[in-house]
Amino acid sequence: MAGTLTEKSVVLWAWLSGAVLTIAVGGLVGYVVVKGAGSLSLHLVFGDTAPLDAMLLRRQVFDGIFPAMLGTLALVGLSITIAVPIGVAAGIYMAEFATSRIKAVFGLFFDILAGIPSILVGLFGFSVAVFLHHRVSDRIMPCLLISALSLAFLVLPYLIRTTQVALESLPRQVRITAPALGATRLQTLFWVLLPQSLSGIVSGVILSIGRCAEDTAVIMLTGVVATAGVPTSVLANYEALPFFIYTISAQYADQAELMRGYGAAIVLLAICALLFILATLIRHRLADHLLYGVR
Amino acid sequence: MKKSQMGFRWVMAAAVLVLIAGGMAPVQADDLAAFDGMQGTVRISGGTAHIPVMKETAKRIMQRYAGIQITVAGGGSGVGIKQVGEGLVDVGNSGRKPTDEEIAKYDLKLFKWAVDGVGVVVNPKNPVHSLSTAQVKAVFAGTIGNWKELGGPDKAINLYTRDEASGTRAVFWKKAIGKGPISAKANVVVSNGAMKSAVASDPYGIGYVSVGHIDKSVTPVTLDGVTPTLETVKSGVYPVARGLFSNTKGEPTGLTKVFVDFLFSPTGQAIAAEKGFVAVK
Amino acid sequence: MFRDQLVKVLFGGAAAFSVAVTLLIFGFMIVLGAPLIKDGAFLALFTDSWLPGQGQVGIAPMIVGTLVIAGLALAFSFPVSLGCAALISGLGRGPLPALLNRLVRFMTGIPTVVYGFAGIFLLVPIIREWASRGSGLCVLSAALLLSVLIAPTMILFFVDAFAAVPRSYLVAAKALGATAVQRFVHIMIPGAWRGLTSGVVLASGRAVGDTLIALMIAGNAAVLPESLMDPARTLTAHIALVVAADFDSLEFRTLFACGIVLYLCTTAMVILTRRIGSASEKRQWPAP
Repeated sequence: MAGTLTEKSVVLWAWLSGAVLTIAVGGLVGYVVVKGAGSLSLHLVFGDTAPLDAMLLRRQVFDGIFPAMLGTLALVGLSITIAVPIGVAAGIYMAEFATSRIKAVFGLFFDILAGIPSILVGLFGFSVAVFLHHRVSDRIMPCLLISALSLAFLVLPYLIRTTQVALESLPRQVRITAPALGATRLQTLFWVLLPQSLSGIVSGVILSIGRCAEDTAVIMLTGVVATAGVPTSVLANYEALPFFIYTISAQYADQAELMRGYGAAIVLLAICALLFILATLIRHRLADHLLYGVR
Repeated sequence: MKKSQMGFRWVMAAAVLVLIAGGMAPVQADDLAAFDGMQGTVRISGGTAHIPVMKETAKRIMQRYAGIQITVAGGGSGVGIKQVGEGLVDVGNSGRKPTDEEIAKYDLKLFKWAVDGVGVVVNPKNPVHSLSTAQVKAVFAGTIGNWKELGGPDKAINLYTRDEASGTRAVFWKKAIGKGPISAKANVVVSNGAMKSAVASDPYGIGYVSVGHIDKSVTPVTLDGVTPTLETVKSGVYPVARGLFSNTKGEPTGLTKVFVDFLFSPTGQAIAAEKGFVAVK
Repeated sequence: MFRDQLVKVLFGGAAAFSVAVTLLIFGFMIVLGAPLIKDGAFLALFTDSWLPGQGQVGIAPMIVGTLVIAGLALAFSFPVSLGCAALISGLGRGPLPALLNRLVRFMTGIPTVVYGFAGIFLLVPIIREWASRGSGLCVLSAALLLSVLIAPTMILFFVDAFAAVPRSYLVAAKALGATAVQRFVHIMIPGAWRGLTSGVVLASGRAVGDTLIALMIAGNAAVLPESLMDPARTLTAHIALVVAADFDSLEFRTLFACGIVLYLCTTAMVILTRRIGSASEKRQWPAP
């Protein structure tokens, strides 16, 4: 019957879409993993330098991705340190203190900020750096600090949003119990609401960490370079994993470098996957506790 | 002569030889010793042809002196000149001589430490190895669009060119194709390394790259009968040549000065030669 | 009381700061791009080609490049995403749809640069051989890769939208004898049209704003692409390429024009999404 035929094709199309997507992603990611699996070793990370010497920063590492890994670590650490206090505070404000008009207006702005292409944030960071370089101090130039600031701006809307949603999703009972016992608004906020919504906030922070770790467009414009060694100061250039991968893909000098690129891609993939799984676990685990009242 | 006198002479001769050898041995390490006791950062950016030399130099210096950090970025000759002029980097590399306006505007001091060439390259699988200047002009202008017109397979020619800031491109444009047009449809790559990778992976590609970067992954194209190699650039037979410059804003001082001097030292020049360039000293 | 006020002001300050950043970014673009208007080159910006050697600094080829690549990516991605969402939302039976859901969520964490890396070494040679012309670095390759990138955004939005369709409708339809497919086509899709549209708009925002895929895969020729196998340059890749240049020149200032175009484009999409409204109350913010 015609009906069944159309129906069968719809179902077929759904299954085919699933297959196409799986093959596409599996193919792309699998290719990188398979090709690069052979290069995963201490040599990938530390090159010809002894691992202990490298990690104690006694000797520099060349031909290894250790400086890039440290650079990414420093970058992410700095940007999250800047972004989390502002983002979480703003999120709390939006959920607890803002009037509905402010919520609407601010919310629009945060959505816009979230939608801004990352390269524009990078361009902004670069312009600010050049502007400050000319007007304020000669020592300011695209560097680790500028990159961290720009990345902080990039992830700010996500932190605000996840904090706001986490707080707004708390069930009514939680909100009215503490005040019924005499707690002030602040006390309720800090001793009851925040701990309860911690899982949502923390998973938002972890996702932001992942975003900072993988971003390339922003750091390309604000201070990352191909060769810099281990990061020494926040006002200096630095290396980072995603930029390393990008540079290698465009210009690898020999097979050894190409293999390092594959290895670095796997490492970055592993880091982001780990962070993602962590965020999901936290969100689910503590959501369960919340649902069943266990704390 | 008494035996002891002969013996003594031999000992003296040996001692003199040892002293001479001892005096010569540390010559290599001596150049690096100029960095003794120095600390700080040298920021380098600009020409991508210079990068292999910069990286190797940085590696040797940083391996020996923990207090020195050398950061190397690319971007092309235009970027190097602008950034050093604006004070964003200490050394700005360029693969072309800065123009008089640039020198005046930024108060640049030029240091040419190697000579290099720009050669046309194709993929090793490509049978076309020799072109005339007229053919190269036509290919890059886009008027010759298929390899079969040059004696190759019946496939479209994939053009690769550099970005606007590139000194390699400026030299190629001026000296190889006589300031002729470069097709707007050409794929744009951002460095010599990228050009090499692109042509090495595209069997029907053609591009131009620093002679020092040419290795087994790409095949140089003979231009009017002259193959771009180290020797032909050195002897001047290959016309598309350019100097590799490191520029500073004003006279270099401190760590930057020691670094620039190091590029001209025997060790520095040996590194340049090792990477495929013609040392100036 | 005082403490209450202090906290409110402090936290409100944080929110206000964030709003200020949003405005500041736009402000910088306008201020730094302003000389373009003064120099009278403004209109030429949108009509000229990009030939800085000959004094033309028009960004028209890049605008077209962005539209073509993003548009194609959406065209490729929409049917596949809708199909996957349908599968996850009930059209599929067995354990596989749930696994697909997990996979899609996981995809949001994959770094873009890894897609680009895989694209250069896997996809580009395939396209080059299959098309037997062009270098493989072209509009088609970039669009294909971009469609994989934006699929999770669309799928997750679609799934949320489908989940928010009132169960009572579906139950009623089932009681009347509707098959799964009929329920899907006649109830879920119309019922979730808000979420579907929002998903598409958000995904297109993502497609327009992506830099790396276009930079690594599309060939970066600043010219109007005439066929799928031609290279092209997007506004985002253009910014990445030209920022390395001179910051006083007219060329550099065109970057701010690109920035303004992109900013306005994505802002328009955000406003559009808000207008449409989302089907679900607690909208899950898609991962960046």
